Amino acid sequence: MDRESRRRWRLSWACVWGWVLAQLLSPLPAVAGPDEGSNGFANPTPGRVFSFPRDHGSHPEFALEWWYLTGHLLETNGARYGFQATFFRRAAPRTSTPESPTSDAFGDQQLYLAHMALLEASTGRFLHQERLNREGWDAGSSTNALDVRNGNWWLRQRSDSPGNSAETPILELNGGVRAEASFQLNLTPRKPLVIFGTNGVSRKAAEPSAASHYLTFTRLAATGRLTLEGRERPVQGEVWMDHEISSSQLGSGQVGWDWAGIQLADGREIMAYRMRRSDGSTDPFSTLTWVDRQGGGRAVSATAFEWKPEGEWKSPVSGAVYPARVRLTTRDPESGVDAVLVLEPIHPAQELNGALGGIAYWEGACRVRDASGREIGSAFLEMTGYAASMAGRL
Amino acid sequence: MTHSPPLDSLLWRRFTWRHWKNAPVSSGLLLGIVALGVGVFFAVRLANRSAVAEFQNFTDVLTTESDGLIVAPAGMLPESVLGELRRGLEDDAVRMISVLESTATRPRMSESETIGSRSTYTLLGVDLIALQNLAGERPQDRRWFGQSGASPSGDASPGIASAADPDLWTLFRDPRSAFISEAQARREGLKVGDELPLVIQERVVSVRVAGIIPADPSRPRAPAHLMVFDLPALQRLTDATGRLSRVEFLMEEGPGRAERWAAVRATLERLSSEGRETPRWRVSSPAERRSSADKMTRAFRLNLTILSLLALLVGLYLIFQALDGAVVRRRDEIAILRSLGMPPSALRRAWLLESAMLGLLGGLLGLGLGWIGAQGAVRLVSRTVNALYFSSAADAASLSLFEALLALGASVLTCLLAGWIPAKAAASIPPAQVLARSQGIRPEGLSMPRRLAVVLGLGAVGGLGCLLPPLRLEGGGRFSLAAYAVALVWVLGAGLLGGAVLERLARALAGLGRHGVAWRLALSHLRTPSSRHRLAVAGLVCAVAMTAGMAILVGSFDLTMRGWIQRTFQADLYVSSDGAQSASTENRISPTTWQAVAAHPAVARAQIVQAARLQLPIGETLLVGADLAFFREFARPAWIAAPTDDTVFDATRNVSLALVSEAFSERFRVRRGDQIELPTPGGLHSVTIAGIFSDYGNERGSLLVDRGHFSRWFGDELASSLILVLRPGFDVETVRSELRAAHPGLAVFTQSYLRTEALRIFRQTFSITYALELIGVVVAVAGLGFTLMSLLWERRDELATLRTLGMRRGELAAAAVCEGVVTAVAGVGVGLVASLALGWLLIHRVNRQTFGWTLETHWPWAQMGLLAVLILGAAILTGWGVGFRGARIPAEREE
Repeated sequence: MDRESRRRWRLSWACVWGWVLAQLLSPLPAVAGPDEGSNGFANPTPGRVFSFPRDHGSHPEFALEWWYLTGHLLETNGARYGFQATFFRRAAPRTSTPESPTSDAFGDQQLYLAHMALLEASTGRFLHQERLNREGWDAGSSTNALDVRNGNWWLRQRSDSPGNSAETPILELNGGVRAEASFQLNLTPRKPLVIFGTNGVSRKAAEPSAASHYLTFTRLAATGRLTLEGRERPVQGEVWMDHEISSSQLGSGQVGWDWAGIQLADGREIMAYRMRRSDGSTDPFSTLTWVDRQGGGRAVSATAFEWKPEGEWKSPVSGAVYPARVRLTTRDPESGVDAVLVLEPIHPAQELNGALGGIAYWEGACRVRDASGREIGSAFLEMTGYAASMAGRL
Repeated sequence: MTHSPPLDSLLWRRFTWRHWKNAPVSSGLLLGIVALGVGVFFAVRLANRSAVAEFQNFTDVLTTESDGLIVAPAGMLPESVLGELRRGLEDDAVRMISVLESTATRPRMSESETIGSRSTYTLLGVDLIALQNLAGERPQDRRWFGQSGASPSGDASPGIASAADPDLWTLFRDPRSAFISEAQARREGLKVGDELPLVIQERVVSVRVAGIIPADPSRPRAPAHLMVFDLPALQRLTDATGRLSRVEFLMEEGPGRAERWAAVRATLERLSSEGRETPRWRVSSPAERRSSADKMTRAFRLNLTILSLLALLVGLYLIFQALDGAVVRRRDEIAILRSLGMPPSALRRAWLLESAMLGLLGGLLGLGLGWIGAQGAVRLVSRTVNALYFSSAADAASLSLFEALLALGASVLTCLLAGWIPAKAAASIPPAQVLARSQGIRPEGLSMPRRLAVVLGLGAVGGLGCLLPPLRLEGGGRFSLAAYAVALVWVLGAGLLGGAVLERLARALAGLGRHGVAWRLALSHLRTPSSRHRLAVAGLVCAVAMTAGMAILVGSFDLTMRGWIQRTFQADLYVSSDGAQSASTENRISPTTWQAVAAHPAVARAQIVQAARLQLPIGETLLVGADLAFFREFARPAWIAAPTDDTVFDATRNVSLALVSEAFSERFRVRRGDQIELPTPGGLHSVTIAGIFSDYGNERGSLLVDRGHFSRWFGDELASSLILVLRPGFDVETVRSELRAAHPGLAVFTQSYLRTEALRIFRQTFSITYALELIGVVVAVAGLGFTLMSLLWERRDELATLRTLGMRRGELAAAAVCEGVVTAVAGVGVGLVASLALGWLLIHRVNRQTFGWTLETHWPWAQMGLLAVLILGAAILTGWGVGFRGARIPAEREE
């Protein structure tokens, strides 16, 4: 295949999957009321009372939902790895009169997409894979508790462990990238669950639908094993897990977002997202939240923190140009002085090229340094909408 | 003198090639005979290969070849196994592709069309969403969707998505959405959005073309008859909700793939039999699956290959004869070469080189002929494969280097074999010996008593060989190796006998009073026949014996089939899905439809026939559920071993009894009273064989049980056919028309129509045999012409003398005719006698051992007579032509 054909191939894949994903993840039309979209899906409701373990599970009344795990793992010899394991659920448009009875094994109401990635810090080797399945025998999620699966990848609550409680369950994750890498981890919350946003609703834009219920375990202790190149190695580390429930994510004029989950060595965490507008400016709905050592959250608005991209890295696959680093400046609520946090990717090439999903984005493990260059924690940074605008896609 | 290539080259140019060049007609004819022999062999091999290659795993078109697959031992897999499989393999990086396969045809265009005239489509149901997961490796997998029209880029080529396309969910929610192959779209002028009526099960369904199956140059091209559906859609269309044909396993990329598959396979095998008396599925690999198709038809293809060697065997005699003649003709030259110091080894080499060159050139010509012939033969072969084994829609043979080399090798080997004795003869001519041509042709070969002793010996060895059992192939196939060896031994013996008969015949004819000069001249040559005469007769005996032997087999088959068809079709109407076109059709009739048909006021009794493929340890067979009492009454089976009492015909008492076909009994080596374990979806059932009936419907054998038990074991009521007996007073044609009108997806046949059609289909499956017979006759006739021509060449001096003595050209031609006719009579006579033995061997050994079918013997005298007349007529014509032309050969001219 010559270069031109390859280019055309890539173009056509991007078109096709962009379109398929648009079908899967398209924003729903203007909503009719505060809780229900016009096409029958729910919108996040302020004051919602969460009940666990049920709310760790799936919410089919919403169109879109994800369980998003990112973490840093260490071997006993100090070898470092970063990983991502994401399970998406997307409901199909509802029809008033289903044409045919649905099959249990091959459903036509829900689609499940999953992303897995692994970074070997010492070599910079970055492996990733996407998977798409319809709800049924090979993918699905429980509505009673955390139990989501896609092929041989799954995340569930352990039922047998001491210390397992409804609100802070001990979790099991089985993930991997093809048969080149696999990881089996037990995840134990070190802190209580954080519910981001105001009154249980994390808003992304002015539109009523551009919001989510955003539940997070900011620090889970991970132990387990990682197999790479056929060699199994024991690992331990710290993991961040988001569970986000919504029917849409972006508002009008927004083209993407940058997100960071930062775990500081002093036991605190920061969750920050910057909604980016088409003119390059930061949307006022951007937010940064400090999580204290006890798990209490304190949010600051877009005007109270600065998200400054530094340098550039161009993806050889998608051609997208991403910031090489991010400098975050915000007032430390504990000390009351401005804190500078530099998020520095462990390796620049951590782009998921969207081969299946059609959306290329950067999601990678970072070191966190202070203004003096001292390493003060670790983070995962997500940057979307650089390869193509996310408008109309999510 | 030592071995020297320049000498060989000199010999080739000045000695061998000169002779070839100077006799273009006979050289051409000889090459033609070799080419025809090789061509037939090559054509049949290619056709065989293509007809079987058609049997492929259709999912290979959509995915990279899977590592393994599971199928139910009988019937289909329940969908519920999927969840269980994933739980069992929840940590394994393995993709599972669930597959449903079915068949369909286009609705009939006219009421008068024949069975099998419409091609069968393979409907493949796969989860089109899960298929996208292969996108990482295979870009074309992403081009399934968005084919339905206006693309924003304005690019109308398949695969470019249209953002405005609202059809993704329609595609998954409308069971009628189908993807067709590019070949079908081109052939039938279909485009995305078109409607296509199909007979699926017993219903006419209008399928909507949702797109073209994406093609990738690195994968097998989607065959024209393949249609792809989203799996649950096809389940609904084919009444197979909750059921699957198979699950394929594709290991994800990574190290140790083979080891990982072995571990997954072990888990699958454990899950299959965990806590069960009978395994729920069988694990195999695509290679094993392909080889099962190969095994299924191996016996059939081996038989065909053997038949295709007929022409080459006859050719062997002719080449032997030609090279032997050349030794005689070039004797003077050889003697001179020897006097000049040429060592015998160089002469032997020259002779063998000539044989090898003949094999090579003839072989190359044969490859061309075979390639053309294969295009026709493949249709004939796949027709038989279709009728007897599985759906094969091969309509073109593809070239195979292996087969070409094999054919070329066979050609060179045959020629070397034929040239071996002449080469020895050439090398043994002493230099001092200068032979005057007038010495004529010395008597050669064995003496008469020794010749007869050898013939008797060969006959006896053959007789003993008949007692040997067939070779049992993997998968239950049988191959009559011993019987074919016996055939070869007998043909060789008959060939030897032919030479002796020729000599006796000539002497006897010479003793019958006064004759004309042409007659006496001809007999003078035949009274002491040369080795060329003997070889010509032997070649003719071989061709006639094998051709007539095959005619006897086919005639016997025909007679038996006619009787069987008369007996078997006793009811009034026979109903099946209109989509049922071949042995492999999956179309069934739903209970609502067959109940409606059976409730027609004209129907007095209805036989509901259910059938499923059943995997037994040796191989696959057919399990049929039917009312056995009805079967006895209206199919009037001819018993090989009749049931000892009526229990098997009583549905209340026959739960552990079965009837089996003769082919089943042969293949699985079971007799009446034996027990068989049947692994059904409802568990393992043990049945005792109550009787064995003759059946010519399939060679894999069938097993008949009461339908009540069948439907309980398989958990479905889908019928493969219905047999109706009408009440008195109802007109069969009227009822047929009414049923057709009420159920357009059903085929309804009257008894007389079905009898005719069954016979037609049977005869059609033998078309390849007829073609091979015809080629056998052509080779025999060409061989006879060649013999006469070369004998006249040998005698060109004698012919010149006779002309000088006043013999006219016509008289010389008449002498050649006489010589040809007497030779032909000897060949045809002995050949026909030998054909009786061969016919017996083919019917009672080869056929019985291979297919398990007992045939009534039929001697097609008229056909055999026609063959004799044809060959004698050809002898007269070629004799006259060759003689007439030969009379003008100048004595001094070199050949």
